[in-house]
Amino acid sequence: MDVTMNVNGRELTASVPPETTLLRLLREDWDLTGAKLGCDVGDCGACTVLLDGQAVNACLMLAGQADGRQITTIEGLADLDAFHPLQKTFEDLAALQCGFCGPGIILAAKYLLDTNPNPSTAEIRDGLSGNLCRCTGYTKIIEAVADTAKELAAKQDAA
Amino acid sequence: MKRTGKGIGCMWYPIGFTVAANPSAATVKINEDGTATVLTGTVETGQGALTVLGQIAAEELGISADDVHVVSADTDTTPMDTGAIASRTTYVTGNAIQMAAEKAKEILFEVAAPLLRVKAEQLEAADRKIQVKGFPQRCLPIAEVANHAQFVMGMPAIGSASFNPPTVEMDPETGQGKPFSTYVYATQIAEVSVDDETGEVDVIRIAAAHDCGTAINPMLVEGQVQGGISMGIGFALQEEMLFDENGVQINPNLTNYIMPTSLDMPEIEVDIVENYDPTGPFGAKGVGEPTSVPTAAAILNAIFDAVGVRIYSLPATAEKILAAIKEKRAEERQALPAAE
Amino acid sequence: MDDNVKVVEAETSLEALREADEALRLPAVAEPITYPIETKVPDARQQTPAVGQRATRPDGRLHGLGQTKYIDDLSFPGMIHAKIKRAGIAHARIKSVDVSEAAKMPGVLATLVGAEIPVNSFGPSLQDQPVLASDIVYHAGDGVAAVAAVTEQLAADALEKITVEYEPMTPVFDPLEAMSDDAPKVHDPDSNIYATKVIKKGDVDKGFEDADHIFEATFRTQMVEHVPLEPHATIADWDGNGRLTLWSSLGRITMGRADVSRTLGLPYNRIRIIGTIVGGNFGGKNEITQEPILGLLSKKTGRPVKGVYSREDEFMSSTTRHPFIMEYKTGINSDGRIVARKVRLVCDGGAYCSWSETTLGKACILSAGPYNIDNLHVEAFAVYTNKTMTGAMRGFGAPQVCFAYESHMDDMAKELGIDPLEIRLLNAFEENAASPTGQVLESVVVKESLQIAAERFGWKD
Repeated sequence: MDVTMNVNGRELTASVPPETTLLRLLREDWDLTGAKLGCDVGDCGACTVLLDGQAVNACLMLAGQADGRQITTIEGLADLDAFHPLQKTFEDLAALQCGFCGPGIILAAKYLLDTNPNPSTAEIRDGLSGNLCRCTGYTKIIEAVADTAKELAAKQDAA
Repeated sequence: MKRTGKGIGCMWYPIGFTVAANPSAATVKINEDGTATVLTGTVETGQGALTVLGQIAAEELGISADDVHVVSADTDTTPMDTGAIASRTTYVTGNAIQMAAEKAKEILFEVAAPLLRVKAEQLEAADRKIQVKGFPQRCLPIAEVANHAQFVMGMPAIGSASFNPPTVEMDPETGQGKPFSTYVYATQIAEVSVDDETGEVDVIRIAAAHDCGTAINPMLVEGQVQGGISMGIGFALQEEMLFDENGVQINPNLTNYIMPTSLDMPEIEVDIVENYDPTGPFGAKGVGEPTSVPTAAAILNAIFDAVGVRIYSLPATAEKILAAIKEKRAEERQALPAAE
Repeated sequence: MDDNVKVVEAETSLEALREADEALRLPAVAEPITYPIETKVPDARQQTPAVGQRATRPDGRLHGLGQTKYIDDLSFPGMIHAKIKRAGIAHARIKSVDVSEAAKMPGVLATLVGAEIPVNSFGPSLQDQPVLASDIVYHAGDGVAAVAAVTEQLAADALEKITVEYEPMTPVFDPLEAMSDDAPKVHDPDSNIYATKVIKKGDVDKGFEDADHIFEATFRTQMVEHVPLEPHATIADWDGNGRLTLWSSLGRITMGRADVSRTLGLPYNRIRIIGTIVGGNFGGKNEITQEPILGLLSKKTGRPVKGVYSREDEFMSSTTRHPFIMEYKTGINSDGRIVARKVRLVCDGGAYCSWSETTLGKACILSAGPYNIDNLHVEAFAVYTNKTMTGAMRGFGAPQVCFAYESHMDDMAKELGIDPLEIRLLNAFEENAASPTGQVLESVVVKESLQIAAERFGWKD
């Protein structure tokens, strides 16, 4: 079965068996290994990507279901000129440790900030509750998301 | 009704293996421009070991963390290491790296001494310079010395060393001995809120004061404390592997094995207890495991303070707590004198 | 002359083909990923002196970019995938393993059973664990056979076609039951107790006699799993000189190489283990698991073989934290000073020894807490049971005993009417205190940690 989708702003095509998940398609056919396989059944969130801007578990979606849609993976956040503000703050605060949950949790945070630019701490916790992390205790991750929200709001005001 | 309580968990924890040799070897190469490469057999498991080890090498060589590149974890190219285990990396591998850096530095001192017209023992490395102790104005940039060492003197600055914590074996009948070279100490104090109608526990905040000797990188120590506390909360309240009557696991998946999410984490305040261990690299000890040791104790003691019930087995699930609360109420009712 | 004409004709047709195809051509692989190649270095990383700096992690930057390559992100030409069949039965003799149906499946390139492994045992202290069970199954997560196939899905499907005949044996699950003489025996026909440790200091019986009060309690903890976000992963490949290279999530590659050398019968200099970046360990990735299996499958097929544990494998077939049963008896005076303590620890040692000896040893030493106790008697036992093997997990017994001795401390404080902070300050180690093993302790800061935490928390408020 042929699928075509817009991934990080580029049209990509692949020919895959119908039972292929979006996660495997991204990782194995297109070498976009940022999305991780942590459980393959939608419990851990390590496979989180944005589908038409919304955070989804790529392991729970079939490649065919994502046909014709717009996908954003972690590889699509930075460009030649700059890191995404979330990536920058996460680095500055040492918010990630082993990093395995990182791509998924950063995309979940992006989705949160895209839909709620001024979240409370409780709303940040809630927004990240679908992403498991075993190393960090989430503390610096939550701080990083809050700091990024403030930074983006300040830029908005300045603009 | 929600009742709050507070509880203390205090602990001590050793660094390194129990008596048994657990060496680490390391090599430090000073590049001809004064930057350096460290070779270590340790494995970065996410805790930030490579960054900390780089800082230790940098400190010894008087250069910055960014001037050091750490290469790790290849049995062909890196020296042996007993591994990222027993909270030993900062202390044992760190010591090996410090000693290796010192040896490489000594070659630079030998080369710089005649150039600075002093004896090698009078030299120190700081601020990217090789300078005279007590008269730092007489100095040379480390880059110049390193280049001179390699290309003029034909003495590339490289050093290798190994370290094993000194121990004394334990007597088989009494256990007396010196099983570890050093220990760390810590206290965590938890505030919880217990719903006495459901038994559910909310951990509100934890104050954690941890000794790690010198904190090579305080930001990463905080991360370890926060991560350790999250594992401690899971251990105290949620996690349990369940087996059926045939010894087969019932919940070998993340749907039914409950572990902490971002919603379960309390407010955490970290204090690094100031301490200096002369046996560790620049006074450092370690911190990886100790952070998850006292958490369950603090939480269970806080539950005791909140609702007066002592839970004797982990995890302290809502069901257990509620059952204990009900039992306690029943006992209290029985203890009351009968109405006349 | 004729040949040249033919060549020109061929070129012309190729041109025509290319023009026709231009419109249809789409990239077969993703275009290069873009990111700023930045050398801007955060200040803390540029400062001297380096110790004490809140330096950011260069690997942390790569994690956030999604550029870090964990083992499952690596791929090599011709690489195939391996899966391991799990026993699913807690204790049994293996009568036969039939891989023939699996081997026939299209896309399955090799199978492996325990009997094919040159030395089928390993372990950090006792080598009681098989790489693949070939004679007896000791817990439901034991591997009994493995396959290598062109895709992971095919490998998983092939496992279903492997038939194993078991003769069930009587298992034992409860560690206290396992300690009794007539319990079903797991490994050794005489006893399930495979490690014991003792600490004796002073005279604990006299201490109890002299003490104003005696308190007793039993504490229990459960089996938990490390749950690293990254499951165990390994890739194995050989070269023409008979050198095996393993990319592995192992946390101890020097020991790992020794284990691979032993199980496969290779000299150390023919083995290379590359540690790569690991997605969390917490103690669970500190011994070999599938490395020898993948090594042999790679040898059979002449291809790189990758094996990644499923999340179920992680729970069922990797090490866990020892459940402890802890009996505490403490003699304490009315002023709150502890004078004697007796501790008995029973560790559920699971199906294999793994890191139990270390866990037992540490737990024993730590079990009295960071407190001055002149009269102490600790005995600890590790017991085999037919459950998932217990091994190293963040703390090696310390979280378990800390829960016990600190809960015990608060129980006593409550009864004696002493503030929990005060009772700890009264008993805590100071510089040059004697540890339970008679060691002189240095750079001791127990009281400081208590006071700093209490101050920060607002204990007195």
